[in-house]
Amino acid sequence: MRGFGIWAIRLYLALLLLFLYLPIAVMVLLAFNQSPLYELPIVWDTVWFQSLAHNDRLIRAGLNSVGLALANTAIATALGTMTAIAFARYSFRGKALLELLLFPPITIPWLIIGTSMLIFFFWIGIGRGLHAMLLGHVALSLPYVIMVVGARLKGHGSALEEAAATLGASPWQAFWRVSLPVMAPGVVAASLFAFAVSFDQFVISYFLAPPGVSTLPVEIYAAIRKGFTPEINAISTIIILVSMGLMLLFARLYRFGGER
Amino acid sequence: MMQEARRRVAIGFLTAPAYLWLTVTVLLPLSAMLFFSFLTVAPIGGREAQLTTEQYLTFIDKDFYRTLTWRSLRLGFDVTLLCVLIGYPAALGLAKHVRGRWREAIFLLIVLPFWSNALVRTFSWTMVLREGGFLDRIIHWFSPDAPPFSILFTYPAILLGLVHSFLPYVILTCYISLEAIDDSLLEAARSLGANALQMFARVMLPLSLPGLLAGVILTFIPVIGSFMEPRILGGRAGIMLGTVIEDQFTTVFNWPRGAALSFIMLGIVLLIFAASAPLLRGRLKGL
Amino acid sequence: MSTVDVIGAVKRYGRVAALDEVSIRFGEGEFFGLIGPSGSGKTTLLRAIAGFADLDAGEIRIDKQPVGDRPPHKRDIGMVFQNYALFPHLTVFENVAFGLSVRGRPKEAMRKDVGAMLDLVRLSGFEARKPRQLSGGQQQRVALARALVTRPRVLLLDEPLGALDKRLRQEMQIELRSIQREVGITTIFVTHDQEEALTLSDRIAIFNEGKVVQIGAPGEVYERPRSAFAAGFLGDANLFQGAVLDGGVEIGGLGTLRSADPLPAAGTHVSLAVRPEKIQVWVEGLATPGADLNRFKGRVQRAVYAGTNLTYKIEVGTHLLTVFEQNRAAHPLPTGTAVNVGWLPVHSVLVAA
Repeated sequence: MRGFGIWAIRLYLALLLLFLYLPIAVMVLLAFNQSPLYELPIVWDTVWFQSLAHNDRLIRAGLNSVGLALANTAIATALGTMTAIAFARYSFRGKALLELLLFPPITIPWLIIGTSMLIFFFWIGIGRGLHAMLLGHVALSLPYVIMVVGARLKGHGSALEEAAATLGASPWQAFWRVSLPVMAPGVVAASLFAFAVSFDQFVISYFLAPPGVSTLPVEIYAAIRKGFTPEINAISTIIILVSMGLMLLFARLYRFGGER
Repeated sequence: MMQEARRRVAIGFLTAPAYLWLTVTVLLPLSAMLFFSFLTVAPIGGREAQLTTEQYLTFIDKDFYRTLTWRSLRLGFDVTLLCVLIGYPAALGLAKHVRGRWREAIFLLIVLPFWSNALVRTFSWTMVLREGGFLDRIIHWFSPDAPPFSILFTYPAILLGLVHSFLPYVILTCYISLEAIDDSLLEAARSLGANALQMFARVMLPLSLPGLLAGVILTFIPVIGSFMEPRILGGRAGIMLGTVIEDQFTTVFNWPRGAALSFIMLGIVLLIFAASAPLLRGRLKGL
Repeated sequence: MSTVDVIGAVKRYGRVAALDEVSIRFGEGEFFGLIGPSGSGKTTLLRAIAGFADLDAGEIRIDKQPVGDRPPHKRDIGMVFQNYALFPHLTVFENVAFGLSVRGRPKEAMRKDVGAMLDLVRLSGFEARKPRQLSGGQQQRVALARALVTRPRVLLLDEPLGALDKRLRQEMQIELRSIQREVGITTIFVTHDQEEALTLSDRIAIFNEGKVVQIGAPGEVYERPRSAFAAGFLGDANLFQGAVLDGGVEIGGLGTLRSADPLPAAGTHVSLAVRPEKIQVWVEGLATPGADLNRFKGRVQRAVYAGTNLTYKIEVGTHLLTVFEQNRAAHPLPTGTAVNVGWLPVHSVLVAA
């Protein structure tokens, strides 16, 4: 392409990236700013992060978030991997329907899913709380786990397991020594994804949070409605760096794990 | 034969847990909500409820709700349009005119924010748009006498926040579609005498349509259901169907009405799917 | 050294019969080729012998024992897959040793056996490499070593050389055969490359639409195809149809063909096949071959020069004959040349339509 065109494209992409990262950069910057009222100039200080350490509410919410995310990861990865194996290994009537049923959790607005869970859980007596949130988070993570692991499995087909069988490996041995190791990068990538989905989840947690129990995003939302404090910046900075870090790891695994 | 039965057991064992979970957490709740939408009050705490279509009729009667739905739809349309206008060219440029390590790096950078915390991202926009925020400061740097500037709590602010949220996703789906177009197809078109515009209109656009459509639908639907961004960025200007539904459950406690409104929204979503299903059949791939 | 018997095998997918009453007896130490077009059933049969496809009817016996209900990992077979299916997370050594290690062989014995096998396939020194660091030919040899190290009773090869380029494929064919002879294992392999089947096999079976069309030694199947399909699939053939008349066959637009095969009663419609390399071409006036030939006059329509050989399309009467000639004269006969064509009656093969 002609020189001018290439530079126009590069400029466009650069502006785009600027747009995407501007607010985040501003927020991170202000988190390190000493002034509580966003006054310039920027005076570097970690005072807000330090005050976070004394904010019991946020710490409890943070622990809830992490704990929930870990539980979600374990369950969603296990259930999702099993389903992905079934999809990759077997073809059966109704498979297309099952695959279709994976779409609602990610395509129906989370508002609707959250409120319907609220209604249903109250009705049958489960009520709100971390256990209810767990139910919701796993439901949202499952489709992603299945997709990620499925993509990894597709790359290798069933030939590897058949080869193991011809070499005398029982189905159990074949699973442990061939299928699992080959699947591993995909499963790890999927679990990172599941963690991020739960850790960042706001809508479902919002509706299923009883008074006194909440997760980080829910706390932040409440704090924003009340008024801005730089502590929110601090905790938001931490959250966003964690999420992005996780995603970077995921991208690494997802791409490089796919090499034969 | 034995193998057939063993196969069925294996399939069942592997898929049952996940789908049981989905049934309990998605299917049953949706059904419960459908049931609720036909009640007068929430039958919790010992209250008696009767069946009624009052909740749905209110929607048809009161102008308020229809205006609201229309606003939400308009928001969805505006956000999606902007995302496509900004995002598709970006995806095109990235897919076809950037090579090597740069391409993957830029792609990752673009997509990364999408998978970070949406609430935090929305909050970060308030830092920029509010009075005393980043934008205000920049303007005052250029003209110190200007009045305090804030577009927070306006419709454009909501637009900005939502476009910022979903732009990476539209770029992602368009990019995947565009990248999959074999270069040799474009070379063939050029060898047959097509100029750049024709190549785009007749080869690239049609072939990238599935990705574009996927991005459009998976942006439009969440947007019409959004309440967090309209509230945080729009304040009173941000009253949408989503925020009203949220109210029914958190402040007004009229769950049946909330359920009915949710189902109307769900109906819209399903309509969109039904309308676009033939175009998307079997072509949805990637995230 | 084992025998494999396939008796009346039937396998249906929906309404399509992938295997339609197939019976073959594979002898000890035989190198047996299964060929046929895509979807003809040859791969299905291989997978049925391996245990990956259940038969709807019929039986498979290895060493006279039925194996129908035994899963693949209990059948003591070795298999090389089309894409080699090497375990990407294991080294070459671990790949080859896999079959031994799942059987619990001690480490020292494994090292010896794997070493010997890698010697056999000429990959000593590659133990620590990973599959993705190997070339196609090397991967193929690892797959072979892996399949053979456990000394299985039968070796199954599913288009083993399909992914290699021509020169490499020819080298590997020779190597494969010599390894097989040295080890002496009964080998069944599937290929769609007829030349490969002819050069490697002790016997071949031609498949079409789930049925075995012909079985025999390569020479026998090639020289005496029993059907028009076999004639056309394995190599090329000129096909003629006509009615039996006066000890010959009357071909419309050509003349009378004589054959060395016994012909049915006069008036019966039959088909004859003549291989292109059996036909001689000579220009009028030059040395004329023996008078016993089926001889006709024709005109060169096209000549294709392929270095080692020439392919002629010659119009004879209303027929267009394909003729292969070795490139002895270095110059193909120009288009339009009037020529004579002829072949021995023994090369007019009577085939079923």
